[in-house]
Amino acid sequence: MVSAPVLEAQQVGMTFDRGTSREVIAFRDITFALRQGEIISIVGPSGCGKSTLFNVIAGLLRPTTGCVKVDGVEVDGARGHVGYMLQKDLLLPWRSVLDNVMLGLEVRGIAPAEARQRALSLIQRYGLAGFESARPKALSGGMRQRVAFMRTLALDPQAILLDEPFSALDFQTRLILQGDVKRIIREQHKAAILVTHDIGEAIAMSDRVLVLSRRPGTIKAIHDIDLGSLTDPGAMRRSPAFNETFDMIWREMDGHTQMTA
Amino acid sequence: MLGYGADMDAGTATNHAVSSARERVGSRLVLVYQSILIVGLFVLWEVLVRIKVLPVYLYGQPSGILAKTQFLLADGELLSHVGATAFASIVGFLVGTTLGSVSGLLMWLSKTVALVLRPVIVAINGVPKIALAPLIVVWVGVGLGAKVAIAASLTFIVSLISVYQGTQEVDEDLVKLMKSLGARPFTIWRKVIVPGSTPWILSTMRLNIGFAMIGAVVGEYISSKVGLGFLIYNAGALYDLNSVFVGIFCLMALALVFDAMLSRAEARFKW
Repeated sequence: MVSAPVLEAQQVGMTFDRGTSREVIAFRDITFALRQGEIISIVGPSGCGKSTLFNVIAGLLRPTTGCVKVDGVEVDGARGHVGYMLQKDLLLPWRSVLDNVMLGLEVRGIAPAEARQRALSLIQRYGLAGFESARPKALSGGMRQRVAFMRTLALDPQAILLDEPFSALDFQTRLILQGDVKRIIREQHKAAILVTHDIGEAIAMSDRVLVLSRRPGTIKAIHDIDLGSLTDPGAMRRSPAFNETFDMIWREMDGHTQMTA
Repeated sequence: MLGYGADMDAGTATNHAVSSARERVGSRLVLVYQSILIVGLFVLWEVLVRIKVLPVYLYGQPSGILAKTQFLLADGELLSHVGATAFASIVGFLVGTTLGSVSGLLMWLSKTVALVLRPVIVAINGVPKIALAPLIVVWVGVGLGAKVAIAASLTFIVSLISVYQGTQEVDEDLVKLMKSLGARPFTIWRKVIVPGSTPWILSTMRLNIGFAMIGAVVGEYISSKVGLGFLIYNAGALYDLNSVFVGIFCLMALALVFDAMLSRAEARFKW
């Protein structure tokens, strides 16, 4: 699998209030490449600048050093080149499920009929059929996140940023949604970056796990994950490879988490 | 276009039916207590006046108020007063609330404009609008124009301030999401800020109908020959307290009618 990277970070660094007494280096020297169909997880202690890194990748913040490239072109401002999914589902409560999924397409100026068609096919394909006209208030947390994911997919972004999207869900819903999101990203030939505190989630969902150090965040370790053909979340978590990697990452994060826990 | 509607799944609908049945039983009981309270107060009032604990020339008298109401209704005078006040209130309310809400929403688009206008708005808000009444009379003349202008100026400023506040309460992350989708400020305003502020617009409306009535009545005090404000003011000057109370009760009735209309409108916009 040697395709050109969908998204590249080259020595990206972010410093706030540079040159003043309040100068804070959020992170530096972040370099990685994300290929089509790949999921990379970023784990690290609180305050290692993960959310800031996401804002830089999405083009909401300009990095102080280095650059982010999407399809080989440097990111310059928020252009909707990446999809964004957060812990909060951020559904508009006055819109139906269908209208929420169509939000990004509307913003892009896609013709309503086509937007509707695209949104409907996603909704029906990925387990929300029959809820097209329901209000977000009537849905469970897991279903709401599903809608948020459909909204992200509808724009057909090259890469999807997942900012702890499962952390507010109960354990069972979380496992199911993790599996579904992973499968759909593969099916749709997308690429994704997942930020999470949950080491198990990082291993279960991704091809590679980047471990960030405490502020100033740098890449402390990279783990390639190979769980063979396992897809069942339970079986995955019982496999020796899973547990070995879990222990390794746990130890790498340990020194930091003790400080903040 | 924004996708408002009343669709619900079956489960919620059933729950809703059960709870509203319980509410209906409760509200019937409340209605009974309310009637007892009001009738009781009127009876007490009447008795206190009849046994001469309260002098009738200072407090009026329920039986006298009733007779006065019949008298004023008979020659159509009362209806024209009620109509004049209601009309001025509604027009003032619509003008002030619309202009104020739209301005409050638009202010979201420019932080600079909002910051520049802030002290001006605070200053205007601090002035009792009644103090502006003579100015308004000079500008627009006496009669309907003055009443509407006073009502509109009161409601404008209330809408402006609270609707702007509403735009600031819209989840910052929704704005961020829209930006990440590539939306420009005007699109964010139209698709998120405006619909997200509707609860504030609607709750301000309920507040504003009261302010519009204050404006209309004050206008009638100072510069009108018709309307409940005129009736009250004029009768008060003549120590005709029964007529004053007729005016006050009509204002209360109007306020209740307006409020009921607005809460219906509000219920339709619940999501």
